[in-house]
Parts: sequence; structure tokens; C-alpha cells
Amino acid sequence: MAEPLQELGDYIAQATGDAVMAAYVRLGELMLDARPGRLVALITFLRDDPRCLFKQLVDVCGVDWPEREKRFDVVYNLLSLKNNQRVRIKVATDEATPVPSVASVYSSAGWFEREAYDLYGVWFSDHPDLRRILTDYGFEGHPLRKDFPLTGFVEVRWDDVQKRVVYEPVKLTQEFRRFDFLSPWEGAHQVLPGDEKAPAAAQEKSKTS
Amino acid sequence: MGVITPTKPDPVTEAALSRALNDELADKGFVVAQLDKLITWARTGSMWGLTFGLACCGVEMIHCWMSRYDLDRFGFAPMPSPRSADVMIVAGTLTNKMAPALRKVYDQMAEPRYVISMGSCANGGGYYHYSYSVVRGCDRIVPVDVYVPGCPPTAEALLYGVLQLQKKVRRTGTLVR
Amino acid sequence: MSDVEIKTLTMNFGPQHPAAHGVLRLVVEMDGEIVERCDPHIGLLHRGTEKLIEYKSYLQAVPYFDRLDYVSPMNQEHAYALAVEKLLGITVPERGQYIRVLFAEITRILNHLLNVTTFAMDTGALTPPLWGFEQRELLMEYYEGVSGSRMHAAYFRPGGVHQDLPEGMLDSMDAWIKQFYPFMKDIEKLLNDNRIFRQRTVDIGVVNPQQALDWGFSGPLIRASGIPWDLRKSQPYDVYDRMEFDIPVGKTGDCFARYLVRIEEMYQSAHIMEQCITALRTVSGPVRVDDRKISPPRRGEMKDSMEALIHHFKLYTEGYKVPAGETYTAVEAPKGEFGVYLISDGTNKPYRCKIRAPGFPHLQALDMMTRGHQLADMSANIGSLDIVFGEIDR
Repeated sequence: MAEPLQELGDYIAQATGDAVMAAYVRLGELMLDARPGRLVALITFLRDDPRCLFKQLVDVCGVDWPEREKRFDVVYNLLSLKNNQRVRIKVATDEATPVPSVASVYSSAGWFEREAYDLYGVWFSDHPDLRRILTDYGFEGHPLRKDFPLTGFVEVRWDDVQKRVVYEPVKLTQEFRRFDFLSPWEGAHQVLPGDEKAPAAAQEKSKTS
Repeated sequence: MGVITPTKPDPVTEAALSRALNDELADKGFVVAQLDKLITWARTGSMWGLTFGLACCGVEMIHCWMSRYDLDRFGFAPMPSPRSADVMIVAGTLTNKMAPALRKVYDQMAEPRYVISMGSCANGGGYYHYSYSVVRGCDRIVPVDVYVPGCPPTAEALLYGVLQLQKKVRRTGTLVR
Repeated sequence: MSDVEIKTLTMNFGPQHPAAHGVLRLVVEMDGEIVERCDPHIGLLHRGTEKLIEYKSYLQAVPYFDRLDYVSPMNQEHAYALAVEKLLGITVPERGQYIRVLFAEITRILNHLLNVTTFAMDTGALTPPLWGFEQRELLMEYYEGVSGSRMHAAYFRPGGVHQDLPEGMLDSMDAWIKQFYPFMKDIEKLLNDNRIFRQRTVDIGVVNPQQALDWGFSGPLIRASGIPWDLRKSQPYDVYDRMEFDIPVGKTGDCFARYLVRIEEMYQSAHIMEQCITALRTVSGPVRVDDRKISPPRRGEMKDSMEALIHHFKLYTEGYKVPAGETYTAVEAPKGEFGVYLISDGTNKPYRCKIRAPGFPHLQALDMMTRGHQLADMSANIGSLDIVFGEIDR
């Protein structure tokens, strides 16, 4: 099951030169890590090559990995109706580097890229119309980043004096309760004070603190 | 709490009442009634609802107007335009982006106007209370008369909410608001 | 005669509008009555679903999917359940799969009933919604019988379905299907040869196959444009590979073709339901996976046995841990291809859950479809695209 997919991945990697950095198959799905600079050429190849024929762009989304230097992953999912196959292309970028837009290759990419820009702040160069799509009109920030709080920074209410809807800092009557469910027997590293049976952990703690 | 439910009229008194009404009309040609009660009877009997369906509760609201739980038989006709509507049913999640539009539509309604907040998202943010883009209850934007709980409230529950609103109008009157 | 400069009229359509099918704000530039350009403003129902899912366990995230496409709730749950099962590497028992397919088809009929009848209402026919919604109520009775809620069921969970069907439901469904075929004939009699309906839908919003592929269409829209693509046939999931059904494919790609495709899909869904019901009378067994690390024990068991109690507690507080990995799983939702791109980092909460709603690219193509048409055709186009803002805005 995975061999024809892996073969296809290797063929694509070979045919597009240095555009594909890695091609692998996990859980029966083919994934390609691509170089941002050669993205449009790769996508065009995937759409037009007779062995690929990925005629539909199904999805473009962003993923935030804050520990990495290039914190954002832009993920493209393509579908080939003729060959009944799917492929996933991943491009890594950071907050300042734009990714070339594929709106010239697939018209449906327009809004998907606007959404990735809105929710993550990933810039797309040569996009016909890059502006906020899902969030509010004057929204500041990019909500789906991991450092953006769940409840946001502003909330809305009607002010009878000013006779308009005003934006105020968030005041919650009950805080969002986030429980740390990682089991106390698996993976917890806290050392109780006075615990003579935990000398190694205590030494570690005294070293770091 | 504090809601006065009118006593259920039984069929015998109902028949006697309508006979008396007919007799009075046939005899004198006019009927005398309290102005207050007459106005509330007219207003509650024909409250047109603005269909402000935002999200899932909107589908239950539509179900309430359709054949099974027909709201129209209570005089509660669907009215898409706010200018001619009496009641606004806020059905669904109100987001920050939509809030100014909601207020604008509410301002376009003529007095006396009422608001029914339908569903837990409209009541207090509901399932999306902690989200960055949701208004935690439409009562931050418009004054609400009746809250209908549920996610979504069944069409029957919305029907009950509408009847509660009628009771509230009867109780509080409409001339002095 | 000097050149006269004609400025286009920019008009706002929505967000509160009876034909806008939810909160849609369209800024339309018009030359008289003809639409030159339309720019949909979405996000008026953006509730932050994806961010909220990242803070919930896998089981707690299930109800969010109900509330996406709220006219066909269970299909969304289906996609999520399949995605999580793929990452977990488990298979749902056969009876659970049959129940899932049965309710997926019920949901398809629910969706198409609402769409076809409100589409007719947008074009002026007021009787179909009144008839169609009674059928929806009858189907919602099944939702209620099996899960407790008329709309948002939280019934399809990763591992299977929550609980088995109650007694008598299969017979009741048989009776429902018998009266459904004459009902559909009635609706077709009202609309198919209706001169007004045809004038408002034939040759409106024509999409040729190349455009359909380019703009990311899926579901009834791509089939109405002539491309026979259905995920239930090409990438079958659950027991769809054992079901016998046809896929209606249109020829012209206009609103009328989309309407006809949906009507025929309802007949096919009823046919699939019949097959599932016949199968469910013989197939027995559990409806969810037996692994106690994933699906919680029944309540009676929980109150008796200590292990069951511990499993119940651990599953409903911490939840199950899903091995690290990522997957894109799509199902044939009634509106098109509904996909869930799920990334797990090995903990009990999803790391990233991207929801690919079919309405998103469809609404994007509205501009292309409505150019050169009149304003009244705009509402016909929106109706035939089958737009629901819960899934577009999430």
C-alpha cells in the first residue's frame, strides 16, 4: 500500500529538482517537505504532470510550532481525482518571511491563504487580495498562534452613553479552568518538600534553581 | 417568581363569555373594555418576530415556524424586516464582528420592541464563552426580555419562551415602559 | 457626445437578510440590476472553534463538530471520529459502522431537505419548506431516540457510536422510508416542471468542469457540473463499500442541475438506509471498540466494577492519549468534501485541528458564478451553493 505512494513521492522529488527536501509516507498518506522558493513550480508540476494530476487544492492551513526557529508550517493538501490520490506539501516559514502564493495556480487558494494570514500572520507574496477574512474588522493579533490567549485581549459591549459598541479589555467572571491532566504517575517531576526518597530529583532541582 | 399566571378559563365560562360578548354587541353595538387590557390583547395576539437566526438555533427557530410547532397560529408571524417586527429572536452565537450589526437592527425596530435570547450562546456566550471573538451574551448589546435556555432549545422550548413573553407583556403592560 | 462616466453602485447585502442563509455580508457592485462583482465578507460567525479544540480533550472536542454544519451535524462528527481512529489505529466494530452509515444517510436527507426546500423558498415557493420540515422533524425524532438531542447529538465518537439503537427504531425507520418516496414525488411534482422555478434556476450560475476543479468544488456542486466524483465510492469509509447506490451526475452545471442532483441523492440515501436497516437486523455485536483505554464502560458496569470505575474516571477527565502523528481525513458530507486535518503530539489534547469546510471554497466561487447575473439570481446562487456559516466561519 505504501510502496506506490513512496514511489510517487520519490518520482516527484526527482522531477522537481531541489524543490522537495523530503518525501515520506505515514499512515498511508504521502507528505512532501518543500522549499518555499520553489513552491509555485512544485505545485504547478503536481497539477500538470501526467503521473500526478492533482487537479484540486483541497486545503491550505497553518500550524504553529513555537519552539522551532521557523515557527510556522504552511500545509497544502491536494487531491487527484483521476488517480484517486492525495498528497500533502509542507513549507516552513517564520513571521517575517513571505511564502509565494499559489493563487495563480489554483483559484481556490485565495481565501485559504487569507485565512492562514489572518489566523497566523503568515505573509503570502503575490496574493491578489491579502486581508483579514475571519476575524473582526479592526482585530489586532493573530489568534491561532500558541502565544495568543484563548480569550483574546478585547471584548465588546454596547455603551449607552457613547451610543455605540465599544471594545474593552477582557474581564471574565470565571477564569477558563485549564486542568493539567498528565497523570501524576507518568511524567510528573515535582518533588515534595521533605521527601527523603527523592534525592536525585532534589539534587537536580537544586542545580537548576 | 412574581409571575402572575392567569387562571385557566374552563370551557363553560368561555362559552358564557363569548355569548355575553355577542349579546352586548347585538344589543348596544359596542363593547366596553379596559384600554390597557385591550392594547395588550392586541399586542400579544400579533407579535411579529424578526428572524435573526445566526447559527444552529436558527434552524430550531425555523422548525418552530414550520408545520409541527406552528408559531404563526399564535399570531407570531415571521417578519424579515426589522421595521415591521415587534420581537427580535437572537438565535445563535453573537460574535464581536456581528455585534454592531445586531445593535443596528435592534435600533431599527419600532417601539414597543422585545428581545428573546435563544440558546446558550445568546444567553451568555454558551459553548463558546471563552473564545476570543464571541460576545458573552447578547444582553451586552441589547436589553433582553426572555432567555430561552438550551443548546439548541427544542422548538417546543422556543414556543414556551414566546408564550412566556406574551405573559410578560400582559403583566408589565406596554403603555408605560 | 462626451464620454459619460458611470459609477457602479455598491450595495450591502446582509448580514441580516432572509435570503442570506445565515450571516453573510456581501458587498455587491452593480451596474443597474446586473452584478459586476461581489465580495463576500465572512467571519460574522467566527467563534474560534479551532482554538477552543486545542484546549479540550479529544472526547470534549466532539460536540464542536456538531455545531459546524448545523443542518447535517453527524457527518462532521463522522469525519472527526474517522480522523482520530486513524491516529489511534483502531477499527470500529461492524454494527457500529452500519449504524454510522445509517445515520450519515439520515443526515444527508436532513441536509438536502433543508437545502432544497429553502432554496425553493428563496425563489418564491412557500409550500415545500412546510412539507419538508415535517419530514425533518420525523428524522430528528430518530436523532432524539438515539442520542437525546434533536440536533447536536454527539453520537459518533472516536471508537464507534455512543450507544446502540433503541428497540423499535428500525421498524419505525422502515415505515418512514415507505412514506418518504411518495413525499419526494410530491415535492418533485411541485418544483421540477414548475415554470417559475425553472426560469429562476435554469442557466443561472453555470459552472463548467474546469472551473469546478479550479475553484475546489466538491459534493453535489462538482457532480452537477459533470464530474462523477463521490468520496463514498472512490475512498470508501465504514461500510460504504458494501452499499449499492448510484451517484447522480448533472450535465449543465447550473442551479437546476444542482437541485436535481440533490433530489436524486435523497432517493439514493433512502435506498442506502434500507440496506443498512436490513443489515442491522442481522448484524449484532458491540457498537464501539472494546478497548477500555478508549471507549468508556457502560454506566451499569461502571457502578459495579472497580476497573470500570477507574476507566470511566480516567477517560472522562484526562481522556485517551492519541499517538503523535497527523492525518487528513475527509468524508462525503452532504455539502461536499468535509475534511479534518488533525495533528496530535502524543498528549490527550489535539495539537492542531484544521477543519476544511466544503462551503469555504464554494462561497469563494460565488463571485465567479454571479458575474453578469441579476441581483435576484444572487439569492438563487447562494441557495444552490448550500452555504452554512457554522462551517465556513467556524
